[in-house]
Amino acid sequence: MASVASVAPSATSESAAGPRTAPSPRRGLRLTGYYLVLLIIVIVFITPYLFSLFAAFKPLGDILTQSPARPPTNPTWANFKEIFTQYDFARYLGNTLMVTVILTAGQVIFSMMGAYAFARMEFPGRDALFWVYLATLMVPNVVTLVPMYVMFAKAGLLNTYWAIFLPYTLGVPQAVFLMRQYFMTIPKEVMEAARLDGCSESRILWRIVVPISRPIIITATLLAFVFGWNNFLWPLIVTNSNSLNVLSVGTANLNSNFANQWNLVLAASLVALIPMVILFAVFQKHIVRSISLTGINR
Amino acid sequence: MSVAAVTANVGKHRSSAAMPAADRRRIRTAFAFLAPSLVGVGLFLVIPVVLVIILSLTQWNLLTPIKWVGFSNYVNIFRFDGFGHSLLVTAYYVLLNIPAQTVIALGMALLLNNRLPGSAFVRIVAVLPFLATPVAMSVVWTWFFDPTNGIVNQMLAHVGITGPAWLSDSATAMPIVAFANIWQYVGYNMLFFLAGLQAIPPSLYEAASIDGAGKVAQFRRVTLPLLRPALLFVLVTGVIGSFQVFDTVYVLTAGGPGNATNVANLNIYNTAFQGFRIGEASAMSVILFLVILIVTVLQFTYFNRRTTYEIA
Amino acid sequence: MSARILARAAAAVTALVTLSGCAGWGFSTGGAAGTVTLTYALWDPHEQIGYQQSIDEFEKIHPNIKVDIENVPYNSYEQKITAEFITGGAPDLFWVNTPWLGTFVKDGILTNIAPLIKANHIDMSQYYPQLVALHSRNGAIYGLPKDWDTIALYYNKDYFKKIGLQVPSDLSWSADGTGSFVSFLKRATTDTSGHNALSPQFNPGKVATYALGVYNDPQSGWGNYVAELGGKIIPYPYAPFTSMNTSAFQQGMSFLTGTLTNDHVIVPGAETGPNANGNNLLTLFTQGKVAMWEAGDWNTTTVKSTVSFPVGVAMLPIGPGGRVSVFNGLIDGLNSHTPHPKQAWELEQWLGSARSQAILGRGGYVWPAIKNLDPLFQQYWQKQGIDMSAFLTEAQGKVVNFPVSSGMGAALTQIANDLGPAWLGSASVSSALRQASNDANYALKTGN
Repeated sequence: MASVASVAPSATSESAAGPRTAPSPRRGLRLTGYYLVLLIIVIVFITPYLFSLFAAFKPLGDILTQSPARPPTNPTWANFKEIFTQYDFARYLGNTLMVTVILTAGQVIFSMMGAYAFARMEFPGRDALFWVYLATLMVPNVVTLVPMYVMFAKAGLLNTYWAIFLPYTLGVPQAVFLMRQYFMTIPKEVMEAARLDGCSESRILWRIVVPISRPIIITATLLAFVFGWNNFLWPLIVTNSNSLNVLSVGTANLNSNFANQWNLVLAASLVALIPMVILFAVFQKHIVRSISLTGINR
Repeated sequence: MSVAAVTANVGKHRSSAAMPAADRRRIRTAFAFLAPSLVGVGLFLVIPVVLVIILSLTQWNLLTPIKWVGFSNYVNIFRFDGFGHSLLVTAYYVLLNIPAQTVIALGMALLLNNRLPGSAFVRIVAVLPFLATPVAMSVVWTWFFDPTNGIVNQMLAHVGITGPAWLSDSATAMPIVAFANIWQYVGYNMLFFLAGLQAIPPSLYEAASIDGAGKVAQFRRVTLPLLRPALLFVLVTGVIGSFQVFDTVYVLTAGGPGNATNVANLNIYNTAFQGFRIGEASAMSVILFLVILIVTVLQFTYFNRRTTYEIA
Repeated sequence: MSARILARAAAAVTALVTLSGCAGWGFSTGGAAGTVTLTYALWDPHEQIGYQQSIDEFEKIHPNIKVDIENVPYNSYEQKITAEFITGGAPDLFWVNTPWLGTFVKDGILTNIAPLIKANHIDMSQYYPQLVALHSRNGAIYGLPKDWDTIALYYNKDYFKKIGLQVPSDLSWSADGTGSFVSFLKRATTDTSGHNALSPQFNPGKVATYALGVYNDPQSGWGNYVAELGGKIIPYPYAPFTSMNTSAFQQGMSFLTGTLTNDHVIVPGAETGPNANGNNLLTLFTQGKVAMWEAGDWNTTTVKSTVSFPVGVAMLPIGPGGRVSVFNGLIDGLNSHTPHPKQAWELEQWLGSARSQAILGRGGYVWPAIKNLDPLFQQYWQKQGIDMSAFLTEAQGKVVNFPVSSGMGAALTQIANDLGPAWLGSASVSSALRQASNDANYALKTGN
């Protein structure tokens, strides 16, 4: 298993590992070509965000007549006001925040507990049970949709908030696996010493393991939060009343009912997209580091 | 209690079936720690897999009594629900999406794997889309590709080309869906390749160039083989994800025009939650599961047949 | 730091949970003591105005019952109500159209109100008997009939004045393409140079106005012609299979997609909309590109508010089996799991009563199901300048009920999809009928 410190891809730092090019008269031309390509890449990845940001602040007339590349001439909050009040997006935002936070908290905490048990606790059947967890990683989401719907229907939990977050809140194999790999790199002696000192297992977990596992916990939290925020199909099938909609479902409904009112529809998209952009900006180092922590270079 | 005391007690009490209290307590704690995720996995992963197989043998709409119909659903989903077409269309999507995405991600990783000013910024910009809510982003794409109001056709008009109705034309609809997915995940996949590239010791390249290998040969003989773990990961996760595509299709095309983008997951959704035909939808899910399983196993076999290199 | 974040997150979540209300967590809220609020679902925004007026009267008579009208778009209506029923939150009363009537009956979503009708001595003979039969099964009745529809031909009065043609009321056709109907249609089709289809100089490539717009629909389109040949989509109500592979169907469809299309007197299938579904016909009618639009009477409000010319209504032509129109009507289904069965029945009773139906008839919203209230609706539209007697005469003549069976909605979708190619000219009528038959049989089999 790859150790933590080994491979940190340096998307943020500037270390290079590729072969160096020697200075040559053609270097200037190649450099210009390189930066041209870079510019194209930036344009491709930024313009969807930028243009929809512009459009969300324009009235519909401006969107239809002006070029999308033009910043709003008279930026207005009217579109956001309309979707927040008339189309209930304030409620959808609240719903999404609530279920995502609950889902994330549960998923991280319970997966962490399970990961710790697999990594550093001894009990009969540990390896066999871990293989079962690994096997379930192979189960694609789509397979569980219909049976889970039936289960929730018979339990009378359809069209409730419970249904939206419960399947993901008790700990998921991906998170358990992720954190177990990390915990396995913590030397056993640390735990043994603590046990000898009389610490209970949960004290060991919370007071010793968690503080030194901050990177992986942040990674797991991010992954869970992003998953919960962006989840669409399950909330779509499990909720009926509009008052339970999460942002993804609300945006899709608005789009199917008012497809040509770009001002509203793009403003709605932005409400879902902007928090993720902010999240990315704040946690970008961790996101990048998460690649190494998944240990793909085993 | 000291370690020695614990082990001494274990030996003493072995004749009776009881274990020492400390061990029992530790095992209880272990299962207490495991309990939530165990319930989660059992209830929401293991039981559904068993249940979906059982349901696939029924005809049921959740309201009337269950009817057992054996394997007839597996025949009917191909005869009457167009599931065969859905599988083909999904496979088409995977073929459009994954090779292009992998090549572009690798290309971007190679391109941006340097210390030139600005490269770090571009690397970050390329990763940003991976967090985007697919539904929200698809709305933006619907606008971008709108035949009259979209920027794409407007730009084409500037150079005198009349752009097609991208999402209403069966030739371009699926490529647009693939484009949306490539745009969203290519940066994230690029990170895996970057990590793989940076794990290759420069000494290998030096040794290769000393042996007279040019850039291309170095790429083929040093870079590619050592990127195999990253490649495998990107391909396997990409294929598994692509076979289950839903959000983008639902918003961009809703399966249209006609049935051109009626991918498997969308068909399952419509059959189960619009038509309330639980048995048929379950049969579709089982078939899709098998398809994904087979493709994944094939990928693993292909990659394991090649020898792996040890970096001394 | 993490403790602070956790505390803040916990506080935020608690706030959101309290704000989210009880309903989303599965706890039902009690209403004000004594008052019961019922939910009533429908889809037509025009008729909703009339129903609101009727509900206002109802609330005056029953001060302890409040009714919330919920508009559910037609395209997803059946699925939405079904899904809501599964989750236990379906409306107390909801419109039921015949395509899904059979499915709702079989799934147990509707209450059998026959015992309530008996206990309240409701006189069922006041309604059209075909409507009562449509909504009954084996002695059970699933709703009080409240409206009816037939199909006729809206026509452009200005256009017919311009070409100097009167629209007769007794046109006839036969499967071989002869009869006064076809020659009338030819006379009513004009090309851009003003020649009609009877003239040798008629240019079929440059038609300015088609005589007739008829399309791929079992109620408003081919259904009437097939019925006039004695054909039936299903052999009997609640049949688990179709009876479409008959000569009546073959001849009826060929008359439309073959004879009339080849004579260039009807709008080509592809131009009426995707799969010849007729979506474009209102626009074409408004633009004067089609002289007569075969449609149901529920379109009258839309026609009146869209077109700029005076509109007349002519009866369907007479076929080999006489003049037959497809006949349909809605009921208000009573949710079998409603938490307020007594109050829901009060509303059902009210909406089936003469007082409520008079409000709707008088305002021109729908033909009331109570026979002797029909003149109210007719008089309203007379004042608006449209003579609706054609629809009424047909209703009092020979009609055939809209087919009812479990799984009918899905079957009809399949039939429309499979017959489309025959209208577009890309498949023969016999192969299209065979495909439609197979797929519809499967839909009915799995529905039953």
